[in-house]
Order: sequence, then C-alpha cells, then structure tokens
Amino acid sequence: MAIFRPSANLFVSTALIGTVILGAFLLLAIWVVPVVGYNTEERYAPEQPIPFSHKHHVSGLGLDCRYCHTTVEETSTAGMPSTKICMTCHSQIWTNAAMLKSDRQSLAQDVPIRWTRVYTLPDYVFFDHSIHIAKGVGCTECHGPIGDMPLTWKAHTLYMSWCLSCHRDPAPHLRPKDQVFNPHWNRTPSTPSGKTLMTAYHINTKILSDCGICHR
Amino acid sequence: MTMSVTRELPADAPVVGPDVTLTSLSHEVSNRVLMERAPRWWWVGFGLSFPLFILFVIQLAWLFNYGIGVWGVRIPVAWGFAIAEYVWWIALASGGTIVSALFFLTRSPWRSATNRIAESMLLSAVPCAGMMPIMHLGRPGFFYWLFPYSSVMGVWPQVRSPLWWDFICLICYILMSIFYYYAGILPDLATVRDLAQTRFKKIFYGVLALGWHGSTRQWQNQRITYAIMSAIMAPMVVSVHSVVGLDYAGGLTVGWHSTQFPPYFFFGAVISGTAVIVMLTILVRWGYSLQNVLTEYHLNALAKVVLTGSVMLGFAYVWEAFGPIYGSDVAARTEFLQRMFGFTAPTFWSEKILNVVIPQLLWIPFVRRNQPLLFLICLGIIVGMWQERYTFTISGLANNYIPSYWGVFYPTVWDWAALAGTIGLFLTMFFLFLRFAPIVSIAEVREIIEEEKSK
Amino acid sequence: MSPLNQRARTYWRSLEELAEKPEFATFVEREAPRFRDIVNAFDRRRFLQLMAASMALGGLSACGPEPNPRQLLPYVDIPENVVLGRNRYYASAITQDGYATGVLVSHIAGRPIKVEGNPDHPASLGGASASMQASILTLYDPQRAQLVAAHGQIATWENFVGALHDRRKRLLARKGDGLRILTGAMTSPSLIAQIASVQKQFPGMRWHQWEPLNRDSEHAAAIMGFGKPVDRAFDLRKAERIFGIGSDLISTAPGNLAYARDFAAARRPAETGGTMSRVYAIESTPTLLGAKADHRLAMRPDEIARSLRYVAGLLGAGPQDWTQQESAHATWLKAAAVDLAAHRGATLVHAGREQPVEVHLLADAINDKLGAIGTTLRLIAPVQADSEPQRQSITELADDMASGKVDTLFILGPNPVYDAPADLDFAAKLRHVPFSVCLSLYDDETAVACTWRIPAAHEYERWGDARAFDGTVTIQQPQARPLYGGHSPYEILAILLGSPITDDYTMVRDYWHQRAQQENRGDFDAFWHGSLRVGVVPKTAEPTISAALQSNLAAKLPPTAAPRANGLLALFRADEGNWDGSCANNAWLLEMPRPFTRLTWDNAALIAPSTAEQLGLSTQDVIEIAVGQTKVNAPVFVLPGQAADCVTLPLGWGHTAGGLGAGVGFNAYRLRPSPSEWATPITYVAKTGDKYRLATTQGQDRILGRDLVQEGTLEQLNDSPQSIVKKSKPESLYPEYQYPDRAWAMAIDLNSCIGCQACVIACQAENNVPIVGKDQVLDGRVMHWLRIDRYYSGPADAPDTTFEPVPCMHCENAPCEVVCPVHATVHDHEGLNLMVYNRCVGTRFCSNNCPYKVRRFNFYPYAFERDRPPNSWNPEVSVRDRGVMEKCTYCIQRIRTTQIDAERENRKIRDGEIVTACQQTCPTQAIIFGDKNDRDSAVVKRKATPIDYVLLDDLNTRPRTSYSAVIRNPNPAIEEKQS
Repeated sequence: MAIFRPSANLFVSTALIGTVILGAFLLLAIWVVPVVGYNTEERYAPEQPIPFSHKHHVSGLGLDCRYCHTTVEETSTAGMPSTKICMTCHSQIWTNAAMLKSDRQSLAQDVPIRWTRVYTLPDYVFFDHSIHIAKGVGCTECHGPIGDMPLTWKAHTLYMSWCLSCHRDPAPHLRPKDQVFNPHWNRTPSTPSGKTLMTAYHINTKILSDCGICHR
Repeated sequence: MTMSVTRELPADAPVVGPDVTLTSLSHEVSNRVLMERAPRWWWVGFGLSFPLFILFVIQLAWLFNYGIGVWGVRIPVAWGFAIAEYVWWIALASGGTIVSALFFLTRSPWRSATNRIAESMLLSAVPCAGMMPIMHLGRPGFFYWLFPYSSVMGVWPQVRSPLWWDFICLICYILMSIFYYYAGILPDLATVRDLAQTRFKKIFYGVLALGWHGSTRQWQNQRITYAIMSAIMAPMVVSVHSVVGLDYAGGLTVGWHSTQFPPYFFFGAVISGTAVIVMLTILVRWGYSLQNVLTEYHLNALAKVVLTGSVMLGFAYVWEAFGPIYGSDVAARTEFLQRMFGFTAPTFWSEKILNVVIPQLLWIPFVRRNQPLLFLICLGIIVGMWQERYTFTISGLANNYIPSYWGVFYPTVWDWAALAGTIGLFLTMFFLFLRFAPIVSIAEVREIIEEEKSK
Repeated sequence: MSPLNQRARTYWRSLEELAEKPEFATFVEREAPRFRDIVNAFDRRRFLQLMAASMALGGLSACGPEPNPRQLLPYVDIPENVVLGRNRYYASAITQDGYATGVLVSHIAGRPIKVEGNPDHPASLGGASASMQASILTLYDPQRAQLVAAHGQIATWENFVGALHDRRKRLLARKGDGLRILTGAMTSPSLIAQIASVQKQFPGMRWHQWEPLNRDSEHAAAIMGFGKPVDRAFDLRKAERIFGIGSDLISTAPGNLAYARDFAAARRPAETGGTMSRVYAIESTPTLLGAKADHRLAMRPDEIARSLRYVAGLLGAGPQDWTQQESAHATWLKAAAVDLAAHRGATLVHAGREQPVEVHLLADAINDKLGAIGTTLRLIAPVQADSEPQRQSITELADDMASGKVDTLFILGPNPVYDAPADLDFAAKLRHVPFSVCLSLYDDETAVACTWRIPAAHEYERWGDARAFDGTVTIQQPQARPLYGGHSPYEILAILLGSPITDDYTMVRDYWHQRAQQENRGDFDAFWHGSLRVGVVPKTAEPTISAALQSNLAAKLPPTAAPRANGLLALFRADEGNWDGSCANNAWLLEMPRPFTRLTWDNAALIAPSTAEQLGLSTQDVIEIAVGQTKVNAPVFVLPGQAADCVTLPLGWGHTAGGLGAGVGFNAYRLRPSPSEWATPITYVAKTGDKYRLATTQGQDRILGRDLVQEGTLEQLNDSPQSIVKKSKPESLYPEYQYPDRAWAMAIDLNSCIGCQACVIACQAENNVPIVGKDQVLDGRVMHWLRIDRYYSGPADAPDTTFEPVPCMHCENAPCEVVCPVHATVHDHEGLNLMVYNRCVGTRFCSNNCPYKVRRFNFYPYAFERDRPPNSWNPEVSVRDRGVMEKCTYCIQRIRTTQIDAERENRKIRDGEIVTACQQTCPTQAIIFGDKNDRDSAVVKRKATPIDYVLLDDLNTRPRTSYSAVIRNPNPAIEEKQS
C-alpha cells in the first residue's frame, strides 16, 4: 500500500513555500518588534507619587520651565525640583491637599520624593541639556507637548536612530532662542528658516554625528 | 579484487569493482542506512564522539557564563585557539567542497563515490568553524550586529573590515553547502525510501525525498541544478577561504601583513580537507565493507591530491620565509626568527615536517595504496595544519612592533576543551550522517557503472 | 556617626556567622561572580574581609530602600555650591612624612572624585604624585578600619571616651608621668600647639616622633655642620651642574614635585634655547635622578663615601690626602669635579635621605665650597617640629615600655609594630603598656596590638593643617564627612586635655584665630576663607637664614674607611608605590608598575646582573636572606644598574594586618636593624630552589632596532638638530583626511619624563580604569590606558635608562578602525580615535592591529568584581563591562565639557583650557595637549621643534601623539675615557 498519495506532493510544495514566507516574516520582526509601543514606551505615563500636571502648572499658571528645572541652562541635567522648590508655593496654597501628602512628608522627614523616570537614558549616553537649549532646541522637541500633559508621558522612543535623525539634520528642529521654553511654539512664516538659525548658532553637523558627542 | 598492490594502477583501471551492478549498489548502500541496528564499530565511534560533544556544550556554557577570560588570550595575543581553529575547521570544510564541486566540474570519475563522504564531512565541519568566531567574541550575544539590517541604533556594520567579509562569506557558504548537499542526495533519499521496510522509515525518508519519483523532468532539473551549484560552489570555496586569509593579510600585524595568505590558506584547505576525506573514506570503506565501491582507485587519486596539496604548501612555506628574510622590515625579521626559534619553535618545525616532508612519501605508489600508512600520513597532516594555524596566529601577535609589549601565550584547559569539544561536534554529526544518510552517491555511481559497461 | 557604626557592626557580625555557613559559597556566587578567581587573587581570609567591608558599606550607603534605576530622587533642599553635572574643586593638602603637598579635590554632585595638584601650592605647582592621585581610593576603601575596639572586642566611641576620662584623672594625679604620645614627623602648627598644651597639663608627658624612612642623618649633619638644625631647600633653575648621591631629589624628598618641575624645565634644550643642566649620579640602587643623569655610576655605599671624599679633596672641600687614595672611578670623578668647579655658584650636590651623616656633611662642604649655599641651596629654619633623632626616640620609647615606665601610650598615625627597627621587638614591649591607644586608618599591626584601636579619619575627612617643605602652611578642609566613622587626633587629644570642645573644625579655626591676631592679619573671616579657597596660608613660607658651615670638617669625620671586604650588603629603600607601608593597602598603587622593575603586586630582592651571575641566581628564584639571626624569604629580581654586591630590599610590603596589602610581598623591615637603618651586611644568602612568579608588565627591555626611542646629545642639537631624529614620510595611495576646525594632538617630551608613574595613576583615577589583580597581570591583562615603557641601552650593569609614556596615538590612519566589523572604534572630525564601548562586540581585532599595543580588553568584568563603592567612580566616564575593548581617549570627557561650555558661550576653546588627566598631574610638564590647528598653541610649538618624532613612522599611521627625542648632555672628558 502506498503511504504517500499523489496529493502529498502538494504538501511538499506548500511546505517549501511556507518556510520561505515564514522566514520573511521572521526577518520582518527585526524591524517591527522594536517599534511597537510596548517596547518604545511612547505615550507611557508611569505612576507617580504626586500626580504632577505640567498642563496645570505650565499652560494653566504659566510657570516657566526654569522655575523648577533650575539648572537646565547651565549643566547637563535639567535639575529635578527639590522639595523646597515645590514648597515655595505649596507652603502657601493647597497646603493640605491630599495629593501633596508625600511632598509634605518629604520635607518633614527630609527624605527625597521618589519619582519614577519617564525619560531614562542608558549610562553610556551622556546627554547635556544646556547645550541643546543654547543651540535653540526647544523643550518640546524631545519632551513633546509637555505643556499640555496632565500626567507626564514619554513623547519619543529615545532610540539612537531618533537622536541621530536630529543630529544629522538639526535645521528643522531649531527655533529662535527666546522661544525655546515656549511649549506652544509653532513655526510661522516670519520665523527664520532652520538654515539661517544653523549659521546663527554655529552648528557644525559634521561633528554632531560623531560617536564621541554622546558616548564617552 | 585482482589488482596487485605494488604496481601503479593502469590508467583505465575500473573505478568500481566489476561485480558491482546497478541493483546490488542500491541495496549495498541503502542497507547501510536501513539496517535495523548499527554495527558495533559505529556504536564505538559514536560512543567516543558523543562525550566530546557533551564537553563542547559544557565548555560553551562555561565560556558564556564566565567570559572570554577563561581562555589564555591576553594582550598582545588577543587571538588564540579560537581563530586558529576557525581557520583550521573552515579549511577542512573547504577541502570537502573542493573535492565534491571542483572535481565534479572536471568530471573526475573517482569523485562520484567519494563526494558524499566529502559533503557529509563538510557539513559536519562547517558548524565547528561557524561556532568559533562567535565563541571568541567578548560579547557573543551581540554577534548579530554584523548583519546589515537597519537597527534602531541607526548604525550599520563596517564593510571595510575583513571580519565582516568573512562573516558574510561564511553565512553564504554554510547555506549554499546545505542546499548543495541536499540537491545531490535527493534521488538517493528516494531510493532509500523505496527500499525502506518499516512504515516509519518510509515516511521519514519519504518526507525527505520531497516526492521524488525519478521522472525525466525531475532528473533533468536535478542534474542542471546540481551542475550550476557546483559551478557556483567551486569558485566560492576559493573565495571564502581567501577571505579568511584576508583576516590576516588585512591586519597591520607583524607576520600577518602579507599578500600571500589567500593562496597560502587555499593550499592548506586542499591538503587538509582531502586528508580528512581520505581518513573518512578508509573508515567508511572498512566499516561498511564497501571495498568494491570505494576502490583503491579512489584512495590513489585522493592521495595524489594530498600530495599536490603538500607540494603547493611547501611552496607557500618558502615564500613565508622569503618575505621577512629578504624584506627590510626589522620587526618582520625578528618576528620570523622568534617564530622559528622562540616559544613557537616546536609547533613551527613539526608543522613543516608533518605537512610537507612526510607527505612526500606519497610519491611512492605503494604508500598511496597502503591504507594504514595513508591514514597515518593524513592524520599527521591534520595535526600539522592545526599547528600551522596556531603558530602564525600566535607568533605574529606575541612578537609585535613594541618590544615592551611582547608576550607569550599559554592555552588554558578551556582552550583545549574548545578544541576537543568541536572535534566531538564534528565526529558526532559525521557518525549521524553515516547512519542515517546514504554515504555513497548511488545515482552518480550508477552513471559510472554504466560508463564502465559501455567501455 | 553612631547609626552608621551600628549598621556597620551588625553587618560585620552577621558576616562572621555567615562565613561558617555552607550557604556562604552560594551566596558569594550570587554576590560576587568569579568568586573562584578572586580567591585565586586573595586568600580566603582577605576575601572575607572584602565581602565584610562591602556589606558594611552596603549598610552605610543604604539609607532607606535602594533606589531602582527607574527612580529619580531629587534633593529635598539643594545644598549650596552643588550644581549637578558641574564639578568643583576644593583645596586641601595631603602629607607624606609630615610634609604637606597642596591638592585640589574635584567634586561631582558633592562627591570627591579626583585629586589634582594645587597650582598655588609651592610643593605641588599643579603637579601631583602617584600616591596623591591614589589617595582618593584610600578615602573610599571599604577595608579601612571602621570599628572602635577595646582588647579586640567591639566597643563604641562612647566607651572609649569614658575610659579616657578615667585615664585622664589618674594621669593628672601623676602629673602625666608615664604618658607618651607617638606621632609621625609633625608639621601641623595647630596639632603641635595642642600637644604643647598637653605637655603643659601633664609635665611628665613625653612626645615621640617616628618615621621609618626618617631623615635623621640629614638633620644630624645639619647640626654638626651648621651648629643648629636647619632644612635645606633647593633651587634647581639655577643649577647647571647637579651631582646626586643616591639622591631622592625628584622622587621622594620633601618638595620633590616642585624640584622635578624645575629640574625638567632646565633640561628642555629645544625649548630653552640650547642650554641644559648636566647631571652626575653615584648611587647603589637606581633612582629616578640616576635614570635621568648624563653620567651615572653604580657603587657600594662605602665606595660612595670614599668617592665623595675624593671629590671633596679635589675641590678643596677636604684635606688633600683624600685625593691620594686610588679609586676605580678616578677619571670619572676627576672629570666631574673639574666640571663642578668650572660652574661655581651654579652647582648643586644632593644626597638622599638614605645616605649616612658623613655623606651629608661632605655634600654640605662641597656645596659650601662651590658657593651653592645662597644660590642653588638655601637654608631655612626646620619645618618639622623639632625632636631628638627619631631612631633614638623610638628606641628610648621601646626601652621605657619594656621597663614599665610607660602606662599610657597614644599612637597617632605611625605603625611601629610593623616598621620599627626589628631588634626593638616593639610588639612584645607594647604588651607591657596597660593603656595603649592606636588611631589608624586600617586595623594594622599596631592597631590590633593596642588595647584600644580607633578608626582614624582620612586626611580628606577631617580638619587640620600642615606645612610644605618651604614652611608654607595649608589648612586642610574635609572633602567628605567620615565615611567609616573615623576620628581625628585633635578629638583624642582634646578629650585627654579634658577640653569641652572636641571637634577638629573649631579647634583648628580657634588656633588660627589666635594666630591671625598675633600676626595681626586683619579681618579673620577674610583671612580664613582666603586661605581655605587658595589652599595656602599667605606669608608662611620660611625665610632664608644664614648659617656658616663650620670648617675643619675632616676632624669631624672618621678617618677614611678602608675598602670593605667583599660581602653582600642589604640596602633598605622606600618602595616606589607603597612608600613606607602606609600606602600598601591602595589597590592602584599595588598594581602600579614600579618605574624600574615594572613589578606589580610584589616586591623583590633587587640584585645586579653581575652579582646574580656570581650567585647563580635569576629572576623569580626564591632566596633566603639572613641578617644576623633573622631570615626572610624573597624572590630575586635581576635589576640592571644596581650596584654589585648590593641587595636592595624595598620596604613597605608584607603587612600581616590591615587592608588589601596584608600578605602581599615580603616584609623587609624584619631584617632592618636599628643601628644601621639603610645598609647592613647580609650574613648569608641561600637559594631555596623554589620559584615565585613575579608579575611584571614589561616584555622586552630593549628596543630591538625599532625607532621607538630616538636620542641625541646637546652638541648634536646645537650643531645639526635635524640629524637627531630619523623621519620617513611614507607616501599613501589614499587622500589624507582633512581636519578643518580642530585637531587634538599630544606631545610628550622624553627628556622631561622622569618615570614617576603619576600619570598612570591619574589616568586610572580619571577614566575609571579597574584593577585586575596579580593573576590577571600575569596573564597579560593589566588595564592601564597609559603605560610608561622602560627601555635600557648600553651594558647591563651600567645601562642608560629611558622612560617612554605610551598613551593612545590617535593615529590619523588608525589601523584599529578599519578592522572593526561593527564601527565600535571610529574617527571623529577632530581627529580623535573614539572607542564606543556600548557598540563593541569584542572581536579584539583592533588590539591585534594596534602597532602600539595601547588597547585594553575586559576579559572579565574587572570593574565590578572588586567591591569598590559605586559612588567613587567618575560619573563622567562609562564604567566598562565584560567583553569590551577600551583605551586612552585623550580624556574625551574633559574635551566635551569644555567644548560644550565654549559652544554655549559662542567662543573658541582657549589653548590650555583642556588638559588631560596625565598632563595635569605630570610634575615635569612632559605632556602637552592641545589643538594642532591652533598655530600658537603650546602643542604646536613643541611639535615644531626639530627633535619631534612619532613612533613607528614607517607604518604611516600618522599618530597625533608625538615625542621629543631624548637629549643627553655628556661630559666630553668622560665620554673620551669610555670610548
């Protein structure tokens, strides 16, 4: 008795073609997997000890970024506001608000507030806020519509390719220095073109994409 | 067998024994595959190989857990056994391709019976070669960064690096080899399927045979495909091994920085590869008592290839010495003197003897057909080739441009484990091929028989 | 402090229990992978200490739950002067044999990270020594003493204070009879004052000072020669001829960094317009000055004395009959003498601390005769607190302890049980002291032998003050609160005095308040803050005093000694890294290759090649050395340039207690008798037949025909400067890279490099270079990014020595770059050869392809396997993990920081604004870094000199790092003799 009916040949060919297609899919995964939201954590707003709203403080009350992020213009780190800074206002207003409990605790017991990072870079990446500010890169370029975030969420993948996209062609991401901290800034016909800003800020793109700019 | 062992074979000597008929051949070969239980010698061989394979797995685990530091590599000798053995294994594999592809194109009759052995050997050696570069990485987990795919890092491999050429070549070579083997074995699998008794074997080989039923069209396609692939494989193997040579030639390292490496390596491939095939042929011939299929004609021919290889290699050795001695580079000269008389001296001299001096015995017809002698000579060549790879890999690094940073190399137990382990991997795979795949190309030997008849 | 102590203690205890449990092994496997290897590197006991310390530290650092990487902890209130991401410098000083050298400690995010020399401090001038660089590691060393202990039982500070109060009552009753204080050599004004008040309160008290590497003979000679104690300070800028006698002038003498600076400045003919000093050296064992000398003779100590008399005689500094005795080196010495005489007023004769009184007297006499005093040598009032000769002092202390005259002993600093002369048997006598207190950084030999041991605060953890070689005072300000609950000597003495104020800040401040008033320095706060900021108390340098050298020197000296009958001589010398043993627990210094031997993790008996041949010894043979009854086993190291029949035994090794240094090397102190501290006859040397593996980092000693070291003479330089270096300009098929804007480059002057290894440790500190341990050094896996190759030329017994610092060359055609398959090492547009750790897969092809062998590979996770407090790493530099390549980056982190600042201010980077770690610390300014495209930068100027060359020119790698050839200034008279 025959084990293989003629139809078996069909299976063979389908199997062969199937493997090819499967392989193709696996290859595709190399591109797809890293960019799915779960892995990029884009639009991810982690739980925070205090439900701080940039929307309220920045767009609502019109606080300047630098009021809390004090060192953003001078050093690599923007500077997370110390409890004291929060308390400059909140010792006066919302003094008993429940949501500010851990804030008051921190001050009373002299232990830092434990925020959860939204933007986190690996240790081998040396990012410097001050230079980006100085070269007219607005906060929102990386932090997205931060001024309208009720809870802070991650606006970009922070993948190296994403950094490079700007480091290789900064022009579209530049703005006049006085607009850097404006969360609602939009390019208008009157704003100088990226090219002009590049020359104005002495930005040398060649050097910008050197590995040593971020990796030491 | 009516051939006397003293005289050289007549040019028209039969390639296969006269008593081999088409049917007998099919049964002869298929039975080896279909037999209920493997012969004792197979179990012995496999029993010896498998523990070594386990060792391979263990050393792999140890290495990946504790890091490259468990080996003897150091600064300046940053490449040790792993790379030397990579070259060694890839040479053996290449030898297989040379015999099966190159001599297919030359239509050498003796090739047909031995090509399957060659290919099985090649397929068993290639994984050993492939593992070595990955094992020797500091961060093996990231070896895939050598693939040219657009990563989220936005960076690509460095195409100027010989290592990258090497990586690409190796990948292509491995894939091609598998297809090549399969294209060749397809009809035989069908034969085995047809002769299979048990349902399981019928299905097993049936699936592998991919519904081959020997129609003219299928034969036509198979032969064409096979021919084309040989035509690709033959030059490919030359280039693959030359690129391996470029890993060295491309380096600005004393003793490496020489254009002779590509041919040098290729010669090495010819001799070492053929040597292994000879050894395995003798084994199969004896083990499966296929004396009249794998005749002395084959051994004789193979031995001649080995001889040619060793002469070519001798030529390469002369150049290896001529360069530094004739040249004006102080560093190169000191390095070569160190290589000859420094801590690498033992391997340096024994390699020359094993690879060039002793094989000259093969000029004597008697030696070519005396199987124990042939076996020993070939074994010597394999060892010698390993020593050769080891010597120039280490020596160039150890005696570099900066005297204050001269060093020596002490292999650790894990270096030896890696060597033994890969040998285990090789043998284990080969014994499995022996057991479960027709080890002589039935289809092609049939052609030979037909030709013989027509003579 | 106490809560920290508590936690530390509980961890410690738990470890002791834990260590006995079987789970320990598994626990260790989890806590410290490669436990196996660490145990290879250290024996189990020390490994336990490591673990204990690490856990104690874990206890210290853990305030609340550990923050996970995803957490972000802002300050509750930002402390003033802390700007995250900016580093700030705070001035202080660190002392060696009591003398201060000014430092600036750089703080990042409020943590002391790196030590630099203080440019405003006369003893540093911006340079720093290897041990200064390494001091920051000691600050963080988790193996430091952390617990107060009484009779070996863990106690608390409060217990101690209580005990001390009772003691005080009894002592008061007895007017301080039986009270002794033992300190190191002391220059701290405030502490001296405090001890003085102790003396006042307890008239019976006696204060001893002890330094194993004391300078007694120097002081004795001063008193004999000048009739009063004086210190000698030198001015090498004026010295055209220098005659060193086993001289430590540029290596360990107080003020050596400043001297080295001037020494090198006078030996850069290509930059000083064709003039350079000439140096003669006679010595028994190689010194840095000897290595730089234009003429050097290796001779036995007794020969040295005789030769010096000969020279003195020739120069008329001694009786004529001294010139009568024949000497093997007569011509050499005569030539030298003539040369010296020809440069009256511009010569300097200097003898090292190891030389006997006689030699120092002769040196003074010659200096006096040649008019050096007042020009190249000036006399100042002694800087150290005066004390009787230290050897005598420690001997008397020992005797009194034995005879029960001592019932209360405070040991504040020194470690006599370990380093007091062997025949005193200090340990045994210490047991007769009912109440002994040891304040020490580590639980060392003395600490464990005392009834009370108190963890000392590191100099960076307490207030204090100290004086430099020229008397300048620095007020030491703490760089951190005591990490391990250390205490300062001020506290202990204050309690002894029963004063209500026991904190060092107030005491030091009050002292200076009074003193400022006496010296009416005006507004105190201004003075105080000014002094702290600058790191120097203004106008405290000692003025030159005049003192006439008494004549008829000959009468003072014993008659010329007859040549000693042959026989081996043991010489005791400071170790280049461990110093007297006080630095022996510092991992960086332990792994620092010694300048001449290139040894790490061990000391060895140094023997001349000729002597080794006679005795049939070779390197790594273990010999038994006997002096009198005491025997010590030591491995042999055959050292070219060592005097025949002299066996040099480096001190400071073979601790039996303390930190990492315990059990490493052999302890030469055991052979060191009190009558002859520096050289003593060896009874016998016996070959044991054993071998001992010594971990040196140098492969070959000679350059084997490469163009690595190029040298010429001063004549050549002045006549035909082009003839000195051979330059080949190989043609390339490829177009050259263009560097339009900036092009970083380095120039290293081989003439200036004195091989002190400071740059090696500076680089290690700055760039988070891990240590690997002896076994790994033996496996050729040492990690130093910058190494100093030592090459010999000439005969093995009298070789010329050259030191060659080798950082990454940053080749414009970098061979390493083309072979990396993943772009992990690439060139940037300013010519830096970058190493991107996080991209590296570890093929190591780049290292193979580097002709200069400057690349280092993490074969194991070195950075993580030894427990180093995470907060001690430099946060500006990635810490590399297993399996990645690394190498010198030209301190790219410094370049970037400056670059960003400049860019932010829209200005160019000024020349000298970026200094690499090695450049900054180099005492002799041998290294210059800068922009090759900036026409008038210092680096361009140096590269423009005709003697500038690059290594392995013919490989066409176009290195950015170039070298200035070695220029020697030989005395023709002597050259002729030799040829």
